[in-house]
Amino acid sequence: MKVLDIFSYAWDGIRLRKLRAALTTLGVVIGVAAIVALLSLGEGFRVEMTSQFERGFALNTLTVTAGRGFGFGMGESASEFYLVVNDTRAINQIDGVSMATAVISKSVSIASGNRTRTVTVVGVNFTQYSEIYSSTFLAEDGTIPLSPTNDTIVLGARIANPWRNGTILAKVGDDINLTWATGPISKPTIKSYVFHVAAVLKEIGGFGIGGPSDNQVYIPISTAQAIFETDQVNQILIQLVDSSQTTIDSVTEAAEALFDDKVTVMSPTAMLNTVSSVFSVIELFLAGIAGISLLVAGIGIMNIMIVSVLERTREIGILKSLGMKDRTVLIIFLSEAALIGLLGAVVGITLGWGLANVVSRFGFAMMGSVAGGGQTAQVHGTGVSGGLTITPILTPGVLLGALVFGVATSVLFGLYPARRASKLNPVEALRHE
Amino acid sequence: MEKENLSPQENEESAEADVVEIQGLRKTYIMGKVPVHALRGIDLRIRAGDFIAIVGPSGSGKSTLLNLIGALDKPTEGKVLIDGVDVSTLNGNQLADLRRKVGFVFQFFNLIPRLKARENVELPLAIAGVGKGERRRRAEELLRTVGLEGRADHRPTELSGGEQQRVAIARALANNPRFLLLDEPTGNIDTKTAQGIIALLKRLNEENGITVIVVTHDQRIANQAKKVVYLLDGRIERMTNPGGSD
Repeated sequence: MKVLDIFSYAWDGIRLRKLRAALTTLGVVIGVAAIVALLSLGEGFRVEMTSQFERGFALNTLTVTAGRGFGFGMGESASEFYLVVNDTRAINQIDGVSMATAVISKSVSIASGNRTRTVTVVGVNFTQYSEIYSSTFLAEDGTIPLSPTNDTIVLGARIANPWRNGTILAKVGDDINLTWATGPISKPTIKSYVFHVAAVLKEIGGFGIGGPSDNQVYIPISTAQAIFETDQVNQILIQLVDSSQTTIDSVTEAAEALFDDKVTVMSPTAMLNTVSSVFSVIELFLAGIAGISLLVAGIGIMNIMIVSVLERTREIGILKSLGMKDRTVLIIFLSEAALIGLLGAVVGITLGWGLANVVSRFGFAMMGSVAGGGQTAQVHGTGVSGGLTITPILTPGVLLGALVFGVATSVLFGLYPARRASKLNPVEALRHE
Repeated sequence: MEKENLSPQENEESAEADVVEIQGLRKTYIMGKVPVHALRGIDLRIRAGDFIAIVGPSGSGKSTLLNLIGALDKPTEGKVLIDGVDVSTLNGNQLADLRRKVGFVFQFFNLIPRLKARENVELPLAIAGVGKGERRRRAEELLRTVGLEGRADHRPTELSGGEQQRVAIARALANNPRFLLLDEPTGNIDTKTAQGIIALLKRLNEENGITVIVVTHDQRIANQAKKVVYLLDGRIERMTNPGGSD
């Protein structure tokens, strides 16, 4: 029997029992739609995150943070060990390091007029910091002073203009109040300082992980040391002589050795890879959940096909008496399963894609704030979603995978009933009522 | 023209060749734990061009014999040679191929309900891998032969019993079988229609040289047959030649 004739015969079999076929297909549709929606959203989220990260990147840098922790150096920094400003001197001695600079960051509130915001203030050496992040630490208004006075402050774009509606918090030349609370929460010591806005940064976008961010303010590191009364730094940035992997590896090793392996040295690429692999695991997990629904659909297909084979026993007997081979009977029933799978997969992909787009359009605000909240290490408490929009991405891999998975599940679960059909004894099948 | 298309060429060349040869055929079923001896030693030769009626009471082994001649089943003992090929030596695929040389017609027609008359006739051709155009041409020709040229696009439910049986006969003829094998072809239709079917079978046998083997209770068919085989308790009781010349 010709392949096309087999398919056409199988299709006739499906068409005859429209409602039943539709319900069976629905199982596949739901499973495939769930997979496609979750994976395309996950992929969109990953790409969005990656691009956000990359905006603040300088490839020839490393960050050194205290503690041997996961990922960004947050988390397991509970050890006694901490880095201090002067540690940069030792790091500067390492071969391949062109410069090391310390960064102190704290959560404070700033006030201008009657408006108050909670922001992350970052104490940096303006000269060194702007050299490392020469493409992002740039002034839109005013100038970033290379030898700043103690009360100099540089604002991130979204600090100066947080609402983007013409109302600005502060502009170059304004004085703003910076308030820092220390001590126990029940009985805090409030300290307040006046700063003079020297510059507002160009908008960077993204989260600014490991680099300047729109949601931070910058003060000279000496001032930070003075007002926070500490030498302890959150991170030390290293600028490398080049961005080759050899340099990255050798400096990483040397820096870790320098601090008895009590620090984490991360390159932006490694950071990105970590983020990316975390998302891969999440995506896999989501796909696994969706896969279970496809499994249930497969059982439905098997169930229906067993019934169908029973009902069509006589027909199978007729086909065999007309000279149809067992193998052809098998293929006919497998084709029915495959067609249901294909139909379900195509509809499911369309539906899943639609669903992903709807979710991304109406649900992104929620997800965005979740994403923003996850970045407390640097974008502390800004409560701003950072303009995160997730555009679902349907990669050819996901598309093909969903299609293949839908069809394969159907065929796999159709195998047993189809085999049963093909093994029917023609004499008994013809006698079947 | 029609005659050439419908009858296999070998018929012309060796009219005396055996299309079915049965030697010492026994068939035993196990029903529960009790062996049932459906056939207890049958010897029979059916030649090309024959019109044979196999008659006998219920339980005489008619259906079993029919299934064995149709290569649907294998013998317990003895031989069934179809077109010179021993059925018991064949595997599943070879049996399926052999069945294409057999034109089955059933008591309850056994048409596929969702297919139109023409599509039912095309089915064995499709199974044999014949292309679409050729299938259609051949199906229409066969429907003409059985007198159903105007009913090609009707589904079985829209046809009378006699018409359905004609479609079944046309379907059985589709692959130029070595013989037609009919199981109670008039058992489920009224007397008048049955006469039409009997006439059709006789015409196919006489005009087109088609070998006809029919299992029946119907004495009118037996009267038209060249040879009548009487079965009783799994054995051939006697054979007569009512309409035959040999």
